Amino acid sequence: MNPLAALFALLIFPGGLSLLAAGLVYEWVDRKLLAGLHNRVGPRWFQPLADALKLLVKEEVVPEGVNQALFIGLPLVALAGALSAAVYVPLAGLAPVHSFPGDLIVVLYLLSLLTLGMGLAGTNTLDRFSLIGATRTLTQVFSYEAPFLMALLGAAVVAGSLSVSEICAYAGEHWLILTQPLGFVVALIGLMGKLEMPPFDAPEAHTEIVAGALTEYSGRGLAFFHLGRSVELVVGLTLVAAVYLGGLSSPVWFAVKTLALLLVMVGLQALLARLRIDQTVGLWWRYGALLVLVQWLVLILIQRS
Amino acid sequence: MTDNTAQGFTVPIGPQHPALKEPGHFQFTVDGEIVTRAYVRLGYAHRGIEKAAEARSWTQNLYLLERVCGICSHIHALAYSLAVEQLAGVEAPPRAQAIRVLVAELERIHSHFLWMGVSAHEAGFDTLFMYSWRDRETVMDLLEGLTGNRVNYSANLLGGVKFDLQAAQADSIRRGLDFLEQRTRHYLDVVSNDAMFLQRTRGIGVMTRAQAEVMGAVGPTARASNVGRDLRVEAPYAAYRDFPVRMALDERGDLEARFEVRIRELFESFRLIRQILDDLPPGELGVRLPRRIPAGEAVVRLEAPRGEVYYFVKSNGGDRPERLKVRTPTICNLTSVVRLAVGHQLADVPMILAGIDPCFSCNDRLVQLYQEETGEGRSMSWKDLRQYGIDFYARRQA
Repeated sequence: MNPLAALFALLIFPGGLSLLAAGLVYEWVDRKLLAGLHNRVGPRWFQPLADALKLLVKEEVVPEGVNQALFIGLPLVALAGALSAAVYVPLAGLAPVHSFPGDLIVVLYLLSLLTLGMGLAGTNTLDRFSLIGATRTLTQVFSYEAPFLMALLGAAVVAGSLSVSEICAYAGEHWLILTQPLGFVVALIGLMGKLEMPPFDAPEAHTEIVAGALTEYSGRGLAFFHLGRSVELVVGLTLVAAVYLGGLSSPVWFAVKTLALLLVMVGLQALLARLRIDQTVGLWWRYGALLVLVQWLVLILIQRS
Repeated sequence: MTDNTAQGFTVPIGPQHPALKEPGHFQFTVDGEIVTRAYVRLGYAHRGIEKAAEARSWTQNLYLLERVCGICSHIHALAYSLAVEQLAGVEAPPRAQAIRVLVAELERIHSHFLWMGVSAHEAGFDTLFMYSWRDRETVMDLLEGLTGNRVNYSANLLGGVKFDLQAAQADSIRRGLDFLEQRTRHYLDVVSNDAMFLQRTRGIGVMTRAQAEVMGAVGPTARASNVGRDLRVEAPYAAYRDFPVRMALDERGDLEARFEVRIRELFESFRLIRQILDDLPPGELGVRLPRRIPAGEAVVRLEAPRGEVYYFVKSNGGDRPERLKVRTPTICNLTSVVRLAVGHQLADVPMILAGIDPCFSCNDRLVQLYQEETGEGRSMSWKDLRQYGIDFYARRQA
């Protein structure tokens, strides 16, 4: 790949600016659909952009008693993690910009950077709400991360490769949602856990702990975390859609698939009450992990025979 | 408070906090997620209403006291009217009493719908929140059609009510009630069958009957613990003698029971309102009261949506009350929050707090003073307080 094309891919399309734009659009769709189910009007189409711009131009207040470098650096790391993960996934249904054997694992860890960044940002401050929020964020990571990872590894096993592009090539011939329905359910709900959507929003339950780990953040840092989450929404949906819903395809058809997944997630958000953190952990290890293990057992038995 | 290790990790909730719709201050000491100690401090919304009432005429106070509470405004005006009528030795005509009860029951419906939304929101169940508040608009529209106001209905006069009920209004109320009843049936189904929501309510904040009696709980909070306290039944006032109410009781005492008791009360209110519309007694809407109320004392207890409201009114024969005392149900139920929160998870605390349907500014009758250094309580006389105020502003200007 020549340097100009690489820069274009990183900064304009499919990564960089167009990814940020897509993140804002998906965030708007999420909010608007949820509002529809709540019988509210919901935000106008440019509201996520307006929110991001407003936060970006605002003063960033650095509270006393924090490690200043970490306080400013963590939002950047979180956003950068989500943006770099995009390089390895088939955004808009096109082949990933870059690919190497084992990049699935790298993508999953890059996606975790956001949550990790938020957890560390919470523990970095002296605020009590932040500390409790950070504890919950990090507890939640340990509950959904393993089942989520194992669900996607199920796809890697049948494709015989840990590379996203090869899994996509395999998924193009077999719709994994039909052959691995349990893995699909765990992956989709795991994505909701990653994004701290209701009912997994205990880490930022504002009726208990205000804004959780991000309570002390304002201005640019908060904007970066929010953008990071929007980007992660797109990247996560892309990954799940590509792996389970037929691999690479035309951008329009692919957008339909991701939006359908988003619709399912919005429906779940509207239907369910918030889980307490102990209930979240219980749910993931009691049912999530079990479902994935059953899925693996079936896979192993089929591969043996 | 600043030392996190010596006294444990304390989470302050309030005076400004998203879980609180009004200012109050709570401190919960937590061990991980488990609450080990709870503490409450009130007085942030003290408005001096009792003192203000002493400076206003009997009629003006009707306006003032309707503003004690923004949700159950009618019940306060009603309590005051009944107390003044008792002092004056008159009684409002039956038609006026029936209309008073009608408005009180519509207000109960509006209050319970509002409460259901707020509690669901504390549990992170925003869909129920939005839906119940949308449906609450129906009853608020009914109240507006009846009285001209959505919040402070201003239905009472000393000795009667301000308006009569027209046939067209009765029909629109019946139609509204049909819609609300159908919605309420759905909500009863949701709160008693939704598995995810039950995880947050079943077995949480259990108050036994003995505890409820010791802590003096009132209203639906007490009735959910099987304490049969409902003044509409025990000491019927206004038109409740002619239109009896059946008490909704539950023996479980947890948050689920509090949801169910309040929703069952809604059905009882629907029934009662329909009955009043059908059998509205004919007659006058009010009686004349003397300008000066004879000297004496009166006590009135009414069943507000949240529980017992207590009014004490003392007259010295002048054109304004000599002393007026208001006690709202929140203060009786707050003890249970501090008590029940201990041992529960921090995540359950907002639900337990919302479970009593708190209303802080209605209940604030005093301000607590603390020595900043020692944390000990202190009291100040009226003279000290006045001097403190003068010094404070003098310092600020300097």
